[in-house]
Amino acid sequence: MISLNQVSKSFAGTRVVDDVSFSVPEGAFLVLLGPSGCGKSTMLRMLAGLEQPTGGQIRFGDMLVADGGSGFALPPARRDAGLVFQSYALWPHMTVAGNIDWPLKVARLPAEERRARIAEAMEMLGITQLAQRYPGEISGGQQQRVALARMIAPRPKVMLFDEPLSNLDATLRVEMRFELLKVHAATGATSVYVTHDQVEAMTMASHVAVMNHGRIEQFDAPERLLAEPSSAFVAGFVGTPAANLIPIADGKWLGTIADAALPDIAGHAMVRAETIELADEAGPRTVSVTLAEVVPMAGRRLVTGVANGVRITAITDSTDRLPSNLRFRLPPAAAAIFDSEGKRIS
Amino acid sequence: MTVPLRRLRPSLARYGLTAAMALILVVLVAAPLATILIQTLQSGGGAWADVLASRLSQNLFWRPATNTMIIGLAVAGGCVLLGGFLAWLVVMTDVPGRPLIAFMATLPFMIPSFATALAWGSVFRNGRVGGAGGLLEGLGFSVPDWLSWGMVPTIVVLIAHYYALAFTVIAAALSTVNGDLVEAAQMTGASRKRILFGIVLPVVTPAVIAGGSLAFAGAVSNFAAPALLGLPVRMQTLSTRLFGMIEIGQTERGYVLAILLIAISAIFLGIGNRILNSRRSFATISGKGARPRRFTLGTMRLPLALLAWTVCILTTLLPILLLLAASLAPSSLSLFSDWTLHYWIGAADPAFARGQPGIFHHPQLISALTTTLMLGAGVVFAANALGLLIAVALTRQKVPVLSNAVSQLSFLPMLLPGIAFAAAYIALYGAPIGPLPALYGTKLLLGLALTAAMLPFAVQTGRATVAQISGDIDEAARMTGAGFFHRLWAITLPLAARGLAAGLLISFVNVIGDLAITVLLYTPTSPLLAVLSYSYASDGFHQFANAVTLVILVISMLATCAATLLRGRRRQTFA
Ligand SMILES: Nc1ncnc2c1ncn2[C@@H]1O[C@H](COP(=O)(O)OP(=O)(O)O)[C@@H](O)[C@H]1O
Ligand SMILES: [Mg+2]
Repeated sequence: MISLNQVSKSFAGTRVVDDVSFSVPEGAFLVLLGPSGCGKSTMLRMLAGLEQPTGGQIRFGDMLVADGGSGFALPPARRDAGLVFQSYALWPHMTVAGNIDWPLKVARLPAEERRARIAEAMEMLGITQLAQRYPGEISGGQQQRVALARMIAPRPKVMLFDEPLSNLDATLRVEMRFELLKVHAATGATSVYVTHDQVEAMTMASHVAVMNHGRIEQFDAPERLLAEPSSAFVAGFVGTPAANLIPIADGKWLGTIADAALPDIAGHAMVRAETIELADEAGPRTVSVTLAEVVPMAGRRLVTGVANGVRITAITDSTDRLPSNLRFRLPPAAAAIFDSEGKRIS
Repeated sequence: MTVPLRRLRPSLARYGLTAAMALILVVLVAAPLATILIQTLQSGGGAWADVLASRLSQNLFWRPATNTMIIGLAVAGGCVLLGGFLAWLVVMTDVPGRPLIAFMATLPFMIPSFATALAWGSVFRNGRVGGAGGLLEGLGFSVPDWLSWGMVPTIVVLIAHYYALAFTVIAAALSTVNGDLVEAAQMTGASRKRILFGIVLPVVTPAVIAGGSLAFAGAVSNFAAPALLGLPVRMQTLSTRLFGMIEIGQTERGYVLAILLIAISAIFLGIGNRILNSRRSFATISGKGARPRRFTLGTMRLPLALLAWTVCILTTLLPILLLLAASLAPSSLSLFSDWTLHYWIGAADPAFARGQPGIFHHPQLISALTTTLMLGAGVVFAANALGLLIAVALTRQKVPVLSNAVSQLSFLPMLLPGIAFAAAYIALYGAPIGPLPALYGTKLLLGLALTAAMLPFAVQTGRATVAQISGDIDEAARMTGAGFFHRLWAITLPLAARGLAAGLLISFVNVIGDLAITVLLYTPTSPLLAVLSYSYASDGFHQFANAVTLVILVISMLATCAATLLRGRRRQTFA
């Protein structure tokens, strides 16, 4: 439904989005995931039509909506897309109902139809009782719901979200995540959702594009990001907890513990926390660590220790007291090996 | 004896501070206002009848009131246009030099309006009312009266002074509408025109009205500009009329005029305030803004930039330079020739300037300078200390009715034209109260009035300071068991010191540039700089007036620069 072909964007000579290509089917929930400043918002704004690509093409279905080469761009309103802003961007001089109504008025829908759509959108987001309030009179979470209602009322085929939950507190965020998925399911529209929070990506996405420095590091289903990260950046960015990236050199863990199974290069080995065990005594592939922290989690414990300045996290079922000379036993084989550039080599 | 005292203590802790502040505010604000009202009503309301409905009332009230309204409305309109234009350029467009324009556009408010009025005179004055003409006449032009004196110059000078207020408010509103709010409208496919009329203008309108009403209130209360530019041709406004009445001893009529002036100014300010804080206003909405979108001016970029720069320079730099030239030139007809330092440091010489010595030989200048500085410093410290205590009382103690009264009373001086407020002080403290002697003509009275006038600003600064107390840092200090005032002193004040000092400096600039209050309350034996400048100017010694004004300006500029540095880059949020 949405396909990008070698899309790039430069601001005054600096490339902010660099040669991005991917496509997602209709009804997909695509999450653009990456650290702040990596170009996610710029990508989203190009999809919305608020920003022009400087290279490459964007298509919605068969329809070309932007072409950086020829400078062609369909104006935002003709793309059948809706956008929820990080700031919500509610118009302060209109009531909640007025905010939802304005885009419908601009689209010249008959009054009858508009009333029905407003009622439906407010109903779906549980804000019917706020209809006559002004944005300045409702809470942040409620403003968020109004912004969502305003976006869905015109029934766009593509829904775009720019970090919509980042201004909410933690409990509201969980609640709104559910609310968003409900809206997505009810409308069946294709969604593109920008966030820097990997938990949001993992819980909501059907497809995830992990971005870094304007490039796509990996484009995959959420489970695949965890199972088969294609770069050290992805491995270190996703998962709760994220997998350990342990430095290796000359076939030695941390440059000190020799292991025949390790390749003879400098880089990082990915080791999942659940494959590291607590060892009672020294042995092959054991590392002495200084205890850094213990986090109880779903009946188990995340134990983090530091060895040679590297933090290593293990998961244990044991509820025993931790010994003062804590040792981790590394697994016989690393889940993945990355070279010094972060590229995956096995 | 001990039992009632012990019973008293907890309630003292709960209400003590608020009650004390309420008492002080009654003395400083409420009592003088009540007094003028009572005094004008006491004698059967005769003064009211004189002013409003008698043979004299045309001259006493109606004509000055009409002039005042014309000035107020024209200045409000002009300020909104000029301030709005600059705000639009700075916030919405890619005009070059935005941060500097934004900074310069806030400066005129720091230049006392009598400085701008004197600068106007140095260029446009004609010889019609005696004395020499200004620069233009010197160049051989004949300057018509309407450009030299009266309504037009007063309005222009006041616009040049007050547009900074409109700029600040409108720029704040524009920067909220810029970016996401407009893009959200673009997403709907609305036309540019529809976005302008449906989104941008409605969001900005409250700010435009508020900015206009601030400028209106400022203009109708202003004394210096109409006094210097209007009085020579007998153009009276309510403030000059009120001054005249008190000066010739018709105090009751003066008080009536003061009450009427307060009413006019307060009504408009009240309307503006209401609109700005209404539930539809941008000021009530929060949310993280996006990177603002700038509208490319294209070929208009340079012409508009030039226009903006010209406005900024005409209202800040040029008046100062003109005053400087005019303080050096013996003939006001040619400002740039035969410069001499006589007016600054010359000894008395019967052949020169009617025997007047340079200002630094003037017996009163040094005392005026020290009085101004001491009074300014004293007032600023007193006002801010009070402001801080009031802020503490308001946030820590919620006493029904009393807290609200404290809050309202501390804000009230904002609505009061300085000269009317000064009149109220004369009414109350001009005569002995019981065993207390009359304070009229003492520096104490002047200090009290100025302190009260500065309170709204000081309370605001105080609130900002106290607001920091609820933070984590304070909790950390609380764990150590330090008491509230100890924490305020040891933790919050040092942390807030920069902001507080900047606030002190800004109110200092306002105090030393004030003429409206001081002209009624100064002590004849030891005048203040602003009053000295005014009396030189009304005696026709323009060079000396300009020189004294420059002394004030230099002090103001130093203080403003220091404040800007202290606040760092936080000020320039629009650009
Ligand atoms: N209009 C613009 N002009 C210049 N640089 C921009 C503009 N918009 C974004 N950038 C730059 O592009 C980079 C990516 O920005 P953005 O897409 O907002 O990142 P993200 O949303 O991932 O945090 C940032 O370095 C930002 O400063
Ligand atoms: Mg972003």
